[in-house]
Amino acid sequence: MLSLGPLAFAAPFALAALVALPLLWMLLRATPPAPRTVIFAPIRLLQRLARTPETPQSTPWWLVLLRLVLAAIIILALARPVWQPDAGSGPADPLLVIVDDGWTAAAAWPAAAAEARSRLDAARADGRPAALLFTAPAPRPPDTLRFGDAGDAVSRLEAHEPRAWAPDRADAAQHLQAALTAPGAPARIETIWIADGVNWGEGDVALARAALSHGRVRVLTPPPGAGPLGLTAVEAQPDGFAALITRARSGGARSVTVTALGADGRALARAEGAFADGARVLRLEGRLPLDLRNRITRVQIDGEASAGAVQVTGDRWRRPRVGLVEAEGGSGEGQPLLSDIHYARQALAGISEIVVDDLDTILEAEPSALILVDAANAQDPRLDEFLQAGGLIVRFAGPRMAVRSGELVPAPLREGGRLFGGAMAWDAPQPIAPFADDSPFAGLAASSEARVTRQVLAEPGPALDARVWARLEDGTPLVTADRRGDGWLVLFHVTAGPDWSSLPLSGLYPAMLERVLALSGGGTAQPAPAAGGAWRLERMLDGAGALTDPRADADPIPADAFHLARAGARTPPGVYAIGAASAPLNVMRPGDELAPLARDLPGAVYQTRGQGRELRLTGALLALALLILAVDALIALALSGRLPRLPVRGAAAALALAFGASLATSAPADADDAANALEVRFAYVLTGDSRIDAISRAGLEGVSREARRRSAVEPAAPQGINMETDEILFFPLVYWPLTPDAPALSAEAAARVSAYLQGGGLIVFDTRDGRSSAGLGEPHPGLLRTLERINVPPLERIGRDHVLGKTFYLLSDFPGRYAGGEVWVEASRDGSARDGVSGLIIGSADWASAWAVDETGRALAPVEGGERQRELANRFGVNLAMYALTGNYKEDQVHVPAILQRLGRQ
Amino acid sequence: MAATPSPRTHDRLRRAAARAASRFPALLAEAERIAATVAFGAHGRRRAGPGETFWEYRRHRGEDGARAVDWRRSARGDQLFVRETEWEAANAVYLWRDGSAGMTAHSAGLAPKRDRAAVCLMACASLLARGGERIAALGETGRARAGQAGLELTGRALADGPGAASSVEAPDLPRHARLVLASDFLDPPETWARRVAALSAAGARGVMLRIIDPAEEDFPFAGRTRFDPAGGGQPLVLGKAEAARAGYGALWAQHGAALGDLARRTGWTLITHRTDRPAGAAVLALYQALDGGV
Repeated sequence: MLSLGPLAFAAPFALAALVALPLLWMLLRATPPAPRTVIFAPIRLLQRLARTPETPQSTPWWLVLLRLVLAAIIILALARPVWQPDAGSGPADPLLVIVDDGWTAAAAWPAAAAEARSRLDAARADGRPAALLFTAPAPRPPDTLRFGDAGDAVSRLEAHEPRAWAPDRADAAQHLQAALTAPGAPARIETIWIADGVNWGEGDVALARAALSHGRVRVLTPPPGAGPLGLTAVEAQPDGFAALITRARSGGARSVTVTALGADGRALARAEGAFADGARVLRLEGRLPLDLRNRITRVQIDGEASAGAVQVTGDRWRRPRVGLVEAEGGSGEGQPLLSDIHYARQALAGISEIVVDDLDTILEAEPSALILVDAANAQDPRLDEFLQAGGLIVRFAGPRMAVRSGELVPAPLREGGRLFGGAMAWDAPQPIAPFADDSPFAGLAASSEARVTRQVLAEPGPALDARVWARLEDGTPLVTADRRGDGWLVLFHVTAGPDWSSLPLSGLYPAMLERVLALSGGGTAQPAPAAGGAWRLERMLDGAGALTDPRADADPIPADAFHLARAGARTPPGVYAIGAASAPLNVMRPGDELAPLARDLPGAVYQTRGQGRELRLTGALLALALLILAVDALIALALSGRLPRLPVRGAAAALALAFGASLATSAPADADDAANALEVRFAYVLTGDSRIDAISRAGLEGVSREARRRSAVEPAAPQGINMETDEILFFPLVYWPLTPDAPALSAEAAARVSAYLQGGGLIVFDTRDGRSSAGLGEPHPGLLRTLERINVPPLERIGRDHVLGKTFYLLSDFPGRYAGGEVWVEASRDGSARDGVSGLIIGSADWASAWAVDETGRALAPVEGGERQRELANRFGVNLAMYALTGNYKEDQVHVPAILQRLGRQ
Repeated sequence: MAATPSPRTHDRLRRAAARAASRFPALLAEAERIAATVAFGAHGRRRAGPGETFWEYRRHRGEDGARAVDWRRSARGDQLFVRETEWEAANAVYLWRDGSAGMTAHSAGLAPKRDRAAVCLMACASLLARGGERIAALGETGRARAGQAGLELTGRALADGPGAASSVEAPDLPRHARLVLASDFLDPPETWARRVAALSAAGARGVMLRIIDPAEEDFPFAGRTRFDPAGGGQPLVLGKAEAARAGYGALWAQHGAALGDLARRTGWTLITHRTDRPAGAAVLALYQALDGGV
């Protein structure tokens, strides 16, 4: 191997051929390009020309140069150049590529895979055996590691996707150990470890050691600033959420954006921030309203496509489930629309999921909040347990509470309550005072209409003031609350219905309840594990952090072990469900950290990934040579004048070739028009269906043939035309077969057709289905679409004395392949600008099939009525040709007897 | 005889002969087709003149002599009538198709000038034969013959005959014969002036049908090109053919003008026909020129 700086040649002796280039130069200069030979009769005239244009006796210098470059490139390619050759690669040792494919590698997977691929490709080119080892555990036990064809390893790599869980390097080390001690394993190997840059504990050293015992180990780490990021936790905040992000390497600042997504994948909120230099942990806070916050199902780090950069929130933040406790013995009797439960239910309907039942049933549904109206039993000890576990209980006052308040109130109550505005009372009904700033209701506008007529009163005391969330204007508490254990106990001092106040009738009521319910979200812990059963995977996170359909072979997690479960090969991360409840299993858990890969693994040489990748240039050079060869051929053609119609030369010819299609279409179009104008030709419209087009062509050829044989019309070969692009002005007759799916015309084409008809053209529309095309029943869809933009005059069925029936033969009907179909022509014979000549003939008889003949004159298609009908169809064709060329000339001819008679009388 | 031709050569010759022979029917068919088209356009030679067949009675005019009066008809009324007969004085038309080597040249996709000339002449011959004229291929079929036999003989000579220039230069012509010369007229105009003057001196009148290959007029060549004369000879190599286009165009126009001049001076008709145009137009022009009292 010969190296020149970063460039090396694997076969440097081929470069010796460069010496021959000057020789080639001489040769090329001496050989002029071969002239093009033509036989030219008036050469005498040419010989009289002064011979001014000197014949160049040699090839132009730049062409010689181009050819020399071509030769030089081929020589260079044969020398097998390599850019930045991988100096360390031993010639014969088998290659082991270890790839970290855990979630930490997922974000940079394309780069890591490309790196691995380039190494394996190089091994394949050198014919070295290779093996590929992934460190993350596979769902199924992997095959034993084997050194074999590097191509197999490449295809395995191509098919591989990063895993959604952490690598297990100790396990990988065992695999490697087993493979290297197996019989037939190579004694020495070279190892390249494409690492994710994260420390995964003891396994790191074990893996490095296993590889080192058989040869050199090189560790390729991700470039600085590109290590993996993990989203360890997402916390609910009253006004949004907070996300905790960690990274392995603390060096360098790095900005991070976190997006919260709803169930439909829509982004709900975004939080931005940056790791400070040296920081390993970042806390980002996003603000958004409560009802939006409750819709968050997933939070992810933008631009970091890995399972660890996603936290699925699952059920936890959904709309709270609220239990409305019914009174024992049922409260449904009497008037349901006036009951307290009805009002509470209506107010909560938009913001929560409501369960109305007795307490036993409600607690089974694991609500995050309980609503107790006055009639409900508040003495149950389970209520207190619920509060202690972090639940929220909202109580409403009422006549019963006024008599006996019990223990479950935030503040002790006076007995009896208070009545305003009654006949015997002094006070007027009280409105609600504006909410204090430290109250959870802060920001809500106190309704001016709501009036409180009765309430229960709290016993004044030193602790009471802190527990009051809302007051009436006279200062008496309306809502009090108290912390009980991890939960909240909230009391409205009025009824849930409108008996005591008009608050339940105002819009303030649901707003206040919504604020109260927000307390239930953050405080609730994981749902209490059910007694038995197992969580099953419902939606799965893939390595790139996208939620996908679950794998069938994922293990279920026993209900009591769910809080201990970690994401792994058998239990992939995602959303797990048990009955109606669902819970997420995330890759990163609160408190997890990422540490950088140790820099002192035994015997390893560290390199940064993406540097010094070997590049083999032979293929590219040969491709370039081929390109130059093509250009040279074009130049040679241009120099000898064999490139007509392309007024370009040299290198531009190659360019022109690329645009050739567009150039070539315009120039011949004019030539075609000239040819079409010179002779009488019939045209048919190309439908795009090659079978129909062939029949149209053969049909018009048949008509032309018959017309030539029987009449003085001498048509040239028919021409297929494309209505959208071709000029139709020169054709006396256009045959237009229509398919049911014929497309509508563009505006330009429609204008052309209209102008053609105005100018005296004749178009024969044939729906080819043997039915009455414009008569009863469904109109032909293709005909409708085609005629849509054309200015069609009124039509009528062709009359018995129409001139079309006597232009050459006397015909009474006009059969084609089918007989008996109707033929429609323009109705206004008099007064039209065209002297009564119809520009449109519309029929369905499939005339072209009846006319169609091959070169030898044999008919191509069967005809319904046999040879007699074919003859009639041919006669109609001749009549049509005559009609197109002579118009209503024969109409005048029928007056000849009358004219002669008149002449005779004179 | 140096050697007996091998069977292979024999075969080749026979095939070539068959191919050459098959050209005549093809050309004749095309000529007939064109002739049919033209015949529908122009209505024959129906007019009064010296002949046997009755044509019409017309009123006696002052310049008619008393001998012209048809007394049998005039006796039936008060007016004098003259009996006219159809013009039947058949004339001889001699056709000549140039057979020089240059006439075989043709652009890609077009007929050789030689074939096109033959087609035009044969179509014309067919039309003339229908009109009762006597026709002959100049210098090849001897005296002019009428009818189908004349047409057949003449057509064969036009399709495959040598068409030597000597036929024009030393013609065997009756006086006042009519001539059609179909050629590319690429010989120097002076040569043609001499030939036409000689013919005119013998009292012949006629039409020059000039057949042009489009490449000769347009000179569409570019780049390094070698021009071979059709009949063998010194080729000419031009390094940049497009550079010669303007000069050649001028010479070509000058040549055309000289020919036109020649026709005007001698009273002949010059019809120019490009082989990329339909032959029908040329035949119509030819027929009209002959019909128009040449």
